[in-house]
Amino acid sequence: MNIVITPAMIGQVIISGILSGVLYSMVALGLALIFGVMRIINVAHGPLLMLGAYTTFFLYSAFGLNPYLTVPISMAVLFVAGVVLERTLVFRVVDAPELSSLLLTFGISIALVNGAQLAFTSDLRAVEYITGSWVLGPFAFSKSRVIAFVFAGFLTGGAFLFLRSTRLGKAIRATSQSREVAMVCGIDVGKIHRLTFGLASALAAAGGALISVIVAIQPEMGQIWTFKSFLVIVLGGAGNYPGALLGGMLLGLIEQLASLFLTTQLSEVVAYVLLVLVLLVRPTGLLGGRQT
Amino acid sequence: MAPALEVADVHKSFGGVRAVSGVSLSLERGRIHGLIGPNGSGKTTLFNCITGVERLDRGRILLDGEPIHGLQPYEIARRGVGRTFQMIRVFPELTALENLLVVTRGPRAAAEAHARELLAFVRLQDLAGEYAGNLSYGQQKLVEFVRMLMRDPSLVLLDEPAAGVNRTLLNELLDAVRRLRDAGKTVLLVEHDMKVVMGLCETVFVLDHGEKIAEGPPGVIQSDQRVIEAYFGR
Repeated sequence: MNIVITPAMIGQVIISGILSGVLYSMVALGLALIFGVMRIINVAHGPLLMLGAYTTFFLYSAFGLNPYLTVPISMAVLFVAGVVLERTLVFRVVDAPELSSLLLTFGISIALVNGAQLAFTSDLRAVEYITGSWVLGPFAFSKSRVIAFVFAGFLTGGAFLFLRSTRLGKAIRATSQSREVAMVCGIDVGKIHRLTFGLASALAAAGGALISVIVAIQPEMGQIWTFKSFLVIVLGGAGNYPGALLGGMLLGLIEQLASLFLTTQLSEVVAYVLLVLVLLVRPTGLLGGRQT
Repeated sequence: MAPALEVADVHKSFGGVRAVSGVSLSLERGRIHGLIGPNGSGKTTLFNCITGVERLDRGRILLDGEPIHGLQPYEIARRGVGRTFQMIRVFPELTALENLLVVTRGPRAAAEAHARELLAFVRLQDLAGEYAGNLSYGQQKLVEFVRMLMRDPSLVLLDEPAAGVNRTLLNELLDAVRRLRDAGKTVLLVEHDMKVVMGLCETVFVLDHGEKIAEGPPGVIQSDQRVIEAYFGR
């Protein structure tokens, strides 16, 4: 096998990497928020994304809605689902040892995936709305990926603006910096937790809605997103929100570059090798996480 | 009139350790009270019980005659209990100003004006936009102190306000505490620096092994046999 790699090919994978990277950043930001504020790794993050994708699929197939118009609806539905999950189950393990929260969210994940199999069957579904690419010189831009990129960029930017500038956003950041102080300062930490979980689920749902136009929808589509999001926040530094942005872009680029230089099967492995390397060499992440 | 704060027969254990065991005390409105005792005598645990961070095993805590035990920490804070910590706890990745604003509700403009006023009160007005994590230890302590004042608490709990603070800053802090008292607020402070306790407090409570062993004006406490034993051994 002897393939000549041209500069145009490298340019193409960099473009593809950036396009998918922002999507990773957005979904991982949700996981990072929950970890930062509640110190919980939400294993059910990916399955929540899957529910977002199904929401879009059903709105599209039953009502013929434009799938991009369903993004805010999916987000709203999953925001409510996230708040309910927190209020009924997750709040019980906030102060518990890490293993309890891992087991609980793992259980929620299994329940969601199997529930989806029962309710929606394991058939592959697709939202065939937009296909093809825009061609610009030597580069091709997949239309659905560009649109997903734009949406994800706006939503991630919006989430950061919310965290930076609003009082509620600051209360979320304050709680993630020190929960005990936030409590005695009069911040209703329980409310902040519910809101954070809802917001994180909404970000996952946006991811699900956007990729439903790109890949097939099925109940097990979510788990890989849990792992990738975890990888992203480890890369960027757990609890470091801008780090999630950087981590997502890096993961997108690395995956694409690996698929160019290695076989497709190996390119999936690269991400995990990277995870092990980062944990060994720089366990606080590239930007440094927050010390607890 | 009910006392500003009444702690009645409060018990709190962690596993087999009785951190606070049957403590009762009552704070008079508009006075400065000291809470002293050797390390591990239960002072911080008692603070945590009052602020709702720890649940009581037994006993009652009344703020202005109303029970507050069993309430959530944020509810107790909103009823007018403010607190600082032994180790300073600012939100390092919020600016000094944001540290104050994040604890408020209500209209933003008024809150911001109030926050800037408080920062000026401790001469930090020029650092309002600086991340709290970049401030010096003493400055962070001041930010924490005025953040507590943002909600205009009626009861102020200070956990070792003098620890790690230089003399000049300490005198300013102590002045500020006296001014709070003059403004009618009730103060309870945990402190290891006896000069601070004796110079500032009007009533002192002494804890040892989770029990209150003495109570009275500083002069009397200083010569109390049980207190001397608790600190220096028999």
